[in-house]
Amino acid sequence: MNIQKLLLLLFIIPLLSSSPHKYYLSLTQIEYKNESRSIQISINVFMDDIEIALNKKYQIDLQLTSNQELKNNDDYFKKYLKEKLHLKINDFPKEYNYIGKEYDGDLVYFYLEVENIDDIKSLEVENTILTTYFPKQENLLKTKIYNKYQSLLLTAKKTKGLLKFL
Amino acid sequence: MKNSTLFLLSIFFIGTTVFAQEKTIKQGLQGHTNQNKFKQLKDQLATPNSQRTASGAPGVNYTQQKVDYVMDIVLDDENKRISGKETIVYHNNSKDELAYLWVQLDQNMRAKDSKTPDIQPSKIPSSMPVKSFNLNYPKTPFDGGFNIISVTNLDNSNLSHTINQTMMRINLPEPLAAGKTFSFKINWWYNINNHREIGGRSGYEHFTENGNNNYVIAQFFPRLCVYDNVEGWQNDQFWGRSEFALEFGDYTVHITTPKDHMLGATGVLQNESEVLSRKELKRLAKAKNTFDQPVLIRTQEEATKIEKSKSSDTKTWKFEAKNVRDYAFASSRKFIWDAMAVDINGKTVMAYSLYSKEANPLYGEHSTRAVAQTLKTYSKYTFDYPYHKAISVDGQMGMEYPQICFNPGRPDADGTYSDRTKYRMIKVTIHEVGHNFFPMIVNSDERQWTWMDEGLNSYVEMLAELAYDKDFPITRGYPKNIIKYMNGDQSKIAPIMTKGDNVYSFGSNAYGKPATALWILRETIMGPELFDHAFRTYSQRWMFKHPTPADFFRTMEDASGIDLDWFWRGWFYTTDVTDIGIKNVKKFHTKTKENEVRFIEDTTKGLGFGDAKDSNSKFHYEITYNKPGGLVMPIIVYYTYKDGTKERKVYPAQIWRFNDKEITKVFSSSKEVTKITIDPNQETADVNTSNNSWPKENKNNFEKFKRKIKG
Repeated sequence: MNIQKLLLLLFIIPLLSSSPHKYYLSLTQIEYKNESRSIQISINVFMDDIEIALNKKYQIDLQLTSNQELKNNDDYFKKYLKEKLHLKINDFPKEYNYIGKEYDGDLVYFYLEVENIDDIKSLEVENTILTTYFPKQENLLKTKIYNKYQSLLLTAKKTKGLLKFL
Repeated sequence: MKNSTLFLLSIFFIGTTVFAQEKTIKQGLQGHTNQNKFKQLKDQLATPNSQRTASGAPGVNYTQQKVDYVMDIVLDDENKRISGKETIVYHNNSKDELAYLWVQLDQNMRAKDSKTPDIQPSKIPSSMPVKSFNLNYPKTPFDGGFNIISVTNLDNSNLSHTINQTMMRINLPEPLAAGKTFSFKINWWYNINNHREIGGRSGYEHFTENGNNNYVIAQFFPRLCVYDNVEGWQNDQFWGRSEFALEFGDYTVHITTPKDHMLGATGVLQNESEVLSRKELKRLAKAKNTFDQPVLIRTQEEATKIEKSKSSDTKTWKFEAKNVRDYAFASSRKFIWDAMAVDINGKTVMAYSLYSKEANPLYGEHSTRAVAQTLKTYSKYTFDYPYHKAISVDGQMGMEYPQICFNPGRPDADGTYSDRTKYRMIKVTIHEVGHNFFPMIVNSDERQWTWMDEGLNSYVEMLAELAYDKDFPITRGYPKNIIKYMNGDQSKIAPIMTKGDNVYSFGSNAYGKPATALWILRETIMGPELFDHAFRTYSQRWMFKHPTPADFFRTMEDASGIDLDWFWRGWFYTTDVTDIGIKNVKKFHTKTKENEVRFIEDTTKGLGFGDAKDSNSKFHYEITYNKPGGLVMPIIVYYTYKDGTKERKVYPAQIWRFNDKEITKVFSSSKEVTKITIDPNQETADVNTSNNSWPKENKNNFEKFKRKIKG
């Protein structure tokens, strides 16, 4: 699919098409574990959306779940997430490890971990996953930190959010 | 008494009165209405009457209008235009006198003064390609609205009419009495839209090679609105999303196309020998007796040859369609045609596919087979397919009409295709062919309730997919598939019982969630036997009629003997989610002394019993289940015993009727329990499984995954 056709799909078809138009949402769950002093992150995205976005961005053909699946796809996922998801803990940028991914139906789950965190006073999340290719993309964030549940809804216009735990 | 004393006393009395009032409020003497989740749905559903009964069946006084059409249609390939003349015969079968009739002018959604674009909020993106810009910000907007040339009586005298956007009122010369008919004529034309460029539920696709167009044509003629005792005239505007409400009737349609076109349409072809070659007729006869594989009526080689030239002659295809609610056709020089016979309980139905070479070999390998599977599976769960054929067209959209539908999916340029392309194409084909049953025959009002056809159809679609390929990758309809949507941002979720034009996440709201709800009813709440009987009863009661949600809800209960009002209320009228957990477990053993059995709590940690337990005593567990989620659902519990065996116990949803937040229930066993798990097979769309185990599962999905990959 060339970019014109893609943009066409995005701008026009949602308005008029008859096929069941899906929605554009990712869910990021963030949990702090005292025992392991780590922040555990799982992100689920729709497989066809992430495939379109990465294929375009890196000029590749992922073919996820097929027998022609691109072997080093984790390299691209890792690279993509590094660019699209940024965390600041207690006002300092923190790197995360890419643990891996798994497929479930039409979803891809990514697992990320931030290690050596003793205390969280604040967490800032910048999430622009899929917002470039899908203007309607929403990235929902749910956190469980110190037994406190919070959530944030990020969009192409509002890409950042700050949570405090004091 | 001095004034000052009186004043003080007053303050004292006023004070105590206020105090007393607060106390009574605190004691809960404030009343309330019935908020119980098992309260019957009576105030949500229309009162039953002799047209629609309390059992959910059509009543003795049920009536339905009938509309017959005789049409002459010309497809002008040169100018990409449709022009038509129709004579409409309207049968007023209702008991009401009608002062006017309403006609749908769907193509006006595409007129240059259409209000559809005006209700879409828009934003300025940072940039877009020139081609997209020209489409989104055109110099002159495409005018695809109907051009009504004339609306006349049979004697060609003018008939008064008023156009309101996508609706036209026919102002009858005199009121149409109950039981009478009214006939009139309309002439019109319109410009066909390029659906690949500007979208749409019909239109043409242009191929630069040889300059051909594939036409998939629908909503091409002014069509009568439904008149009934539910909506009166269903004349809600067509904004582009919520689909159609249409009456059944008989159609005589003549379609004139370029002479070298191949065409498929609703209805029985009356002049086969005039429009098909002798070779094609012979192959067609063979196909009518071939049940195991598609037979090519027009081959790819033949179609490729034909598309290289253009005939300036025309030919006319003549069809008769009985008892259909709509009419559509597809026409092109490029079409390959294959056909296979399908045995539906002794009756032969034809499965056809029309596709361009660009869609092959994907269509040749799967399209007609998917059509056949759909007819078989749907006939099993509803009623025998009553029409003579079903066509799947390579229309590169997903849109359904009686006996014909337009489907997506093409292989890569080298002819190969991935599993995902294949399964997506089969999925949509089954879905669109399945629409022959809902809503083309079980004819619900799509303009009002998208879920009634899309939800029911998406559910039966799953059964057909699994019958086509037992490993079919189902991505919609299983309870686990809907969790992400149901657990999303509540401000962006609407109840299923919302008009299609106004729902967020259309696909999940009107397709996925109702399909899941039916799947859960069948698999977990009612069981396949009771569910299938009730679902078949609904389908058969309402085939060729206009059911409402209440007719569906009532029939499912009436035919199964299961009160489901709580289920409809929760799943269809709210945006509540399932979340059931285990809050606490206490264990007891017993000691018998004289005539009394005493329960003694074992306070050791975990589910295991300490030494104090008498070996004669059973193992008694007092389990407190809590329900953070708003939905009431059965509690599905798996008890794992020390010997490794498991026992499944389902407590019906009614266990929540006295306390919606938490309940305590005893489980007694002769074997020691080591683990208690709620809904381990994800049958209920439980959005939070962290509270589903006892002893509490400390590992979340993240940790399970990490452990798995670290070995």
